[in-house]
Amino acid sequence: MTAADLYTQAVLDHYRSPRNYGELPGFTHAADGHNPLCGDRLHVQVHASGGRVAAMRFRGEACAIATATTSMLSELALGRDSQQLAALAALFAQLVSGELEQAPSLMELNAMRELAYHPLRRKCALLAFATLSAALAGAGAASTERIVE
Amino acid sequence: MSAVPNLAVAAPLDPDQYRPDFPVLARRVHGKPLIYFDSANTAQKPAVVIDAVARYYREYNANVARAVHTLGEEATAAYEGARDRLARFINAPRDEVVFTSGTTNAINLVAYSFALPRLGPGDEILITAMEHHANIVPWQLVCERTGAKIKVAPINAAGELIVERFVELLTPSVKLAGVVHVSNVLGTVNPVRDLARACRARGIPLLVDGSQAAPHLPVDVQAIGCDFYAFTGHKLFGPTGTGVLWARREWLQAMPPFFGGGEMIKTVSFEKTTFADPPHKFEAGTPNIAGFIGLGAALDYIEVIGRERIAAYERELLAYATTTLKSVPGLRLFGEAREKAAVLSFLIDGIHAHDLATLLDHEGVAVRSGHHCAHPLMQFFGVPATARASLAFYNTRAEVDEFVAAIGRVRKLLQ
Repeated sequence: MTAADLYTQAVLDHYRSPRNYGELPGFTHAADGHNPLCGDRLHVQVHASGGRVAAMRFRGEACAIATATTSMLSELALGRDSQQLAALAALFAQLVSGELEQAPSLMELNAMRELAYHPLRRKCALLAFATLSAALAGAGAASTERIVE
Repeated sequence: MSAVPNLAVAAPLDPDQYRPDFPVLARRVHGKPLIYFDSANTAQKPAVVIDAVARYYREYNANVARAVHTLGEEATAAYEGARDRLARFINAPRDEVVFTSGTTNAINLVAYSFALPRLGPGDEILITAMEHHANIVPWQLVCERTGAKIKVAPINAAGELIVERFVELLTPSVKLAGVVHVSNVLGTVNPVRDLARACRARGIPLLVDGSQAAPHLPVDVQAIGCDFYAFTGHKLFGPTGTGVLWARREWLQAMPPFFGGGEMIKTVSFEKTTFADPPHKFEAGTPNIAGFIGLGAALDYIEVIGRERIAAYERELLAYATTTLKSVPGLRLFGEAREKAAVLSFLIDGIHAHDLATLLDHEGVAVRSGHHCAHPLMQFFGVPATARASLAFYNTRAEVDEFVAAIGRVRKLLQ
């Protein structure tokens, strides 16, 4: 295992040039994701119509893992409804905990499989899904930190 | 008159002489030699400590202060021998040295046994803006139950306590003050003697959190003049789960026990228990016998090296590391106190502390990232987290060079 296994070219590319970064005019749903122990902060805006994500944008101050995951998710989420996204979130949780080697439906997010070897960093990647799900559920805020460091 | 060589001036410390004493330092991490820069989190243990713990379990494992058989006597002698060493280490009488599981436990003992019965509405506890959560949260719990309030003495941009403000805040409503001796985030060494003098002049008991001081500076509680001094064994090259609360005898006598049980009693009937004298009054149940025997061995080890020598070497290494680290473009250092221990908290523009720590780990470098159990301090500097390199006498200039080179590779990867 090397640094390049987690910080792959795909991850670094999404970190340096995050997709769908910025404000989404006329968004219908939004939520803040915050992991206070880490310091990761995301703001996700979604335009959903008929229960499906038509557009997603985000901004925030977060580590490379959280930023790249959110960027990848902003592309994956398009055209999917809450139920489909919940299923993807469950698959992603299995992937990063090492229970799944890969999940084709997660597309580029398979890059995060190396988090199986970095248990303390999993919460960084899970924040994107938690924040998107909070936005769609109208919850407004999300965190993936449950354990006190 | 011919010059007489001054034997008191010891040779400068050569870390390479001592590194082989620490088995873990020979490890490789991700194929690279380990560079352990996380000693403020927990220090590595020399073989003499590991062996002392193993020898207790292999050769004379028995409970203390109960068994009259040979093993029990040997265990008691070794365990109480560690108390003698700890007492010498901080220049205190042995019966003022209470064994705890660590600093947090020691401060909580003062919170529950000393502060809780004494404080009430209108009273205040003065702490500083650079306290570890261990010297904040216990007082908040006391305040919730008593109606007392916490006051916070501010720091300046260099991360130094503003002493005049601290003294001004020592008003008659302050019934207890708590100050960290050395900040775990900034490395700032607080002028605890001056603070203790100001507290004593006003009759305010002072607790000093010595977690980060005891491993790096000679500590003399009489010279400091405080009322309570708490520190932990695992940062002092000893086993985890060991710590000390030193307190003035009159306070220990006045304080009720915190935990009840065996070991802390004189006589027990169902109607009435008479308690043992301090320090045993505060040590209910079977203690961490192996841990304290190991801690005793750790103190022997560092006293042979010499605490002044360790402090002098670490000062020199800190100066070198500070200069070298500042050469990294975009690096921001937190804590530049004039009196400082070998702790370097920093951030690099555009790089999150956790990415830095993960990537440095792949270079074999162990640093801590996060809020360092000091949320209020992070808020003061307006950052969510920092990376922290904390050094000990077993670290070298060559490791600092490699660390800075590794930071350069991480910057290249991420930026």
